Amino acid sequence: MTMKRIAFAITLTGLFYCIVIDQGHPQTQGKSESTIELSYYKKADMTKTAVAIVKVRRDSKFVPAKNAKVVFYVMHENVQRLLKSVNTNNKGKAVIVLQKDLPLEEDHSFSIVAKIENDSMYENAEEYIHYKDANLTLHLNPHDTDRIVTARVTEVGNDGKEIPVKGVELKFYVQRMFGIMPAIEANTISTDEKGEATLVYPKNIPGDSAGGLTVVAKIEDNEQFGNLENKAVTSWGTVLEAEKDPYPRSLWEPSAPLPLILSITLMFGGVWCSYFFIFFHLRKIKKGENILL
Amino acid sequence: MKKVKKYNNITGRRDFLRKSLISGCVLAGGAIGLEKVFSGENDSGEKVKVLTPDGKVFVANSDHLKEFRPPPVTNEEARKGIPNRKFVMVFDLSKCDGCKTCTAACQEMHFTESDREWIKVFKMKDATTTAPYYFPKPCFHCDNPPCTKVCPVNATYKRQDGIVLIDNERCIGCRCCMAACPYSTRFFNWSHPDPRQVAATANIPYSPEQSLPRRMGTVEKCDFCPDMLREGNMPACASTCPMNAIYFGDQNEDAVTNASGVTVRLSQLLEDNAGYRHLEELGTEPRVYYLSPKNRKYPVPDMESPVKKQGKAMPMEMDMGNMKM
Amino acid sequence: MVNETLNLPAGQAGLKNGIEILREDCLRPLQKWGRSTLIWIGFLLLVIGWGLYCYIHQLRNGLGVTAMRDYVSWGLYISTFVFFIGISHSGTLVSAILRISKQEWRRPITRSAELLTFVSLLFGGILPIIDLGRPDRLANIVIFGRVQSPLVWDVISICTYLVGSTTFLFLPMIPDMALCRDRLTVCDSRFKKFRKWLYTKMALGWKGTKSQWHTLELTMTTMTIVIIPVAVSVHTVVSYIFAMTLRPGWDSTVFGPYFVTGALYSGSAGVILGMAAFRKLYHLEKYITLKHFDLMGRIQLALTLIYAYLNLNEYWIPAYKMATAEGRLLTDLFYGSYSKAFWTCQFGTVMLPIIFLAIPKLRKPLMISITCIIIVAGAWVKRYLIVVPTLLHPFMPIQEVPESWSSYFPNYVEFSVTAACLAGIFLIITLFSKLFPMIAVWEVEDGLKIDYDKQAAIYLRTKREEEEAKILEDRLKTGSETIQQPA
Repeated sequence: MTMKRIAFAITLTGLFYCIVIDQGHPQTQGKSESTIELSYYKKADMTKTAVAIVKVRRDSKFVPAKNAKVVFYVMHENVQRLLKSVNTNNKGKAVIVLQKDLPLEEDHSFSIVAKIENDSMYENAEEYIHYKDANLTLHLNPHDTDRIVTARVTEVGNDGKEIPVKGVELKFYVQRMFGIMPAIEANTISTDEKGEATLVYPKNIPGDSAGGLTVVAKIEDNEQFGNLENKAVTSWGTVLEAEKDPYPRSLWEPSAPLPLILSITLMFGGVWCSYFFIFFHLRKIKKGENILL
Repeated sequence: MKKVKKYNNITGRRDFLRKSLISGCVLAGGAIGLEKVFSGENDSGEKVKVLTPDGKVFVANSDHLKEFRPPPVTNEEARKGIPNRKFVMVFDLSKCDGCKTCTAACQEMHFTESDREWIKVFKMKDATTTAPYYFPKPCFHCDNPPCTKVCPVNATYKRQDGIVLIDNERCIGCRCCMAACPYSTRFFNWSHPDPRQVAATANIPYSPEQSLPRRMGTVEKCDFCPDMLREGNMPACASTCPMNAIYFGDQNEDAVTNASGVTVRLSQLLEDNAGYRHLEELGTEPRVYYLSPKNRKYPVPDMESPVKKQGKAMPMEMDMGNMKM
Repeated sequence: MVNETLNLPAGQAGLKNGIEILREDCLRPLQKWGRSTLIWIGFLLLVIGWGLYCYIHQLRNGLGVTAMRDYVSWGLYISTFVFFIGISHSGTLVSAILRISKQEWRRPITRSAELLTFVSLLFGGILPIIDLGRPDRLANIVIFGRVQSPLVWDVISICTYLVGSTTFLFLPMIPDMALCRDRLTVCDSRFKKFRKWLYTKMALGWKGTKSQWHTLELTMTTMTIVIIPVAVSVHTVVSYIFAMTLRPGWDSTVFGPYFVTGALYSGSAGVILGMAAFRKLYHLEKYITLKHFDLMGRIQLALTLIYAYLNLNEYWIPAYKMATAEGRLLTDLFYGSYSKAFWTCQFGTVMLPIIFLAIPKLRKPLMISITCIIIVAGAWVKRYLIVVPTLLHPFMPIQEVPESWSSYFPNYVEFSVTAACLAGIFLIITLFSKLFPMIAVWEVEDGLKIDYDKQAAIYLRTKREEEEAKILEDRLKTGSETIQQPA
């Protein structure tokens, strides 16, 4: 009878565990609070992207949320049209490329909405952005010794013509290997009435082996236009002298300094010569030759 | 006796059925329960098919695969290095708070055991009267490297981009380089690598630039992640530092970048903050600079308590008890 | 001296008799293998077998089976390597230096000294290979070797010295091999055929002709001159493995001379021990006399004093300054966890032997053997104290590492393999002494002849002087008439 009771207890425990405690299905599990940060970027090659960064609350801190399903919509005439849904990567980032024929409002502005809805792990969240399309162009002479760059910001007017925009803050950078470096300390310049901002690049910025330098102009987090960027290749950098001999003879390179090789060869070579002299004479003993004569 | 037997025969079947039903339920319930207990990690990752450079296909848990890593370069290319670059790293000690996220990121990327810290955060106190500070130390990739000088087989070498690497297919394990390094930067593979790590890295063709797969009886150390550099990404430590205390860049370009992407002129940074190199008087010419912990952004470390460790525990984490001794 | 065996003025016959006794005494041990020898060889084989088993365990599971970890990455193996290379300077000292300075008393002890050199060099050279993480890639040193590396200098100079000391051991054996070939095979001995073949091959057709003697003299002189700088270079280069690093305790300009004098000091102690052992075991008291112990004892005293002087320099100079990193190391050595071993070494194994060796009465075989055992053991511990404490005091603090990394004491694997190397040394010495005479017979014969010639000359001269004095006396007595011409 005890065996029966034990068996019964095990069955009950197993079933209890399966049904009550361990729920594979998330409907009744607690979801985490999440936030979305939505931004818009227009790159130098005119591609437009919307980037959603999703963060989730963990122990009173917000950390990037992985694998959160973000659904992007475009608002057009008060109707949300589905664009795409993208999962965030390890850093909580979800990127969507906006198509060229994105439906625009009458004033050539557009709205993007990013939502987390019905996600298994995260609570619903929503964020939207509303920007106007603008163009950022660079005007410069790549071989100019005065190193002057002019950036022009224009927006499309109601009549379809390009209107210069005044008072937009532009930042000028130089492209480096891992990021962009401010060209000078005070690299923020606002556009004038003509929508232009000019900067003279300093002389002493290192360039590549041909003296090439990529100048970058950016509009960052502008309320009207979002993030815009444009680049141009110039020859304004100082020439990087190619290393004549990247692997010279030295104590740490594969090839040793000549004095070292010479001294070792002389010292031990001399010793081995005397050894061979001795071996030669040993053979004479063996052969029993009379070496005196 | 016969009567009892007959009685048992009839009830025997019932009994048998009852018993088998009960045991079936027990087995099912227990098995499901046990499976849930021992299923280990969240099997949330998808299975991905991966094609290796030499044409083999294997299925991996995408959790284990890091972000797409391109096939590594050949051994000969790895010895030459990236031309026209001279990599440097700068640590801003006024921003380092000893969180060891850099250590965890490096260990995750290189499948390193948790006791082996290629970038190690020390708590330094130079004298009894000076204040303590956190001191993260990777390999310094010295320009006058004591380790490279003493290697008898040229298994550790200095490339034209300043990086000192180790070729674990040539290393004979004499540990001369470990004796010569004054910064205690090198580690030795005393035993067979962890089997899980071996399985995870089995299909990666060996390259000194990734320092994987490990080989028993050879030396390893921080390598400035050259495979990431070839893709234009910063090393794991520099790109994950939450305090933006680590800058990494190219000395030829005179620019260094931190984890947030903020890029500054190297010469200006060193000038403004009186950058220096550790144990400069040893003459090893390190490629790693430090900015003094002036105007700190965190409290002074307590020299008695251990440095707190953050970053997630990797599937590879194992304690010394597992090592075959 | 040996001339006591000559019954002068028995003359030439006495000399011939002495030589015959010498040959018999030297060849007697080769003729029988007693039970104690077999037991001893069996014991050594056991130790070697166990060491081999531990080494295979190490090969299969990596160096992690030893107690070495990432801070103390060099431990007992490397300390023993340095120690054995040190002992290998014995042959150079006795054979080469004493030969060049024409010290006749060296003759009976050259063979055992050269043997000790050869064997300890052999096992000393094997130890770094045992210490390698990937011994299967040993050929890389030859294929990809870099001459800037102290380890490659090590390989070159140890190989050179090995060839040199083998030659140096072998050359003086040629006439003795001829002796064995001619005499021993007539006697009843084990492995007759093998031994006949061995002696014949090694004698290189020696017949004792004038030209052969001349060749032998020439080659031996060459070898004597060449081997001294080679031996100095070997231990200097071994010291460079440490001195070319920046570590406190190793970054010292005096390491080369320090190691070389340490080698000579421990090597000559090894020679004395060899002398004492063979004298006792093979009853060679007639040839290895008390005078030998006295003279070797004086040499040992001189070497110990020089070594003590270098020791003083090595520690007092950094101790005066107590620079940061060296200060931590020296505090540990002088007052900390290594203080017992350190001070025992300095006083017990350096200062005490100086006192013992300085007292003439204590330069007797038994007492000097005890002193030399202390010296040899102390030299071994000293090498360990050079290697390990420095590794435990790096520039960067040892923080938050596993327990096993922050301290070191060799474990059973390291002890077993090291013991096996030591047993290997003893085994080869034992087998050698059973196959070949441990005294260079022809050299001692030469010594006897020289002695006899000297004694004869003195005798003749005294006799002639006596005669002349007698003539003078007679002349004085009898006056000037009977002046006789001297004979």
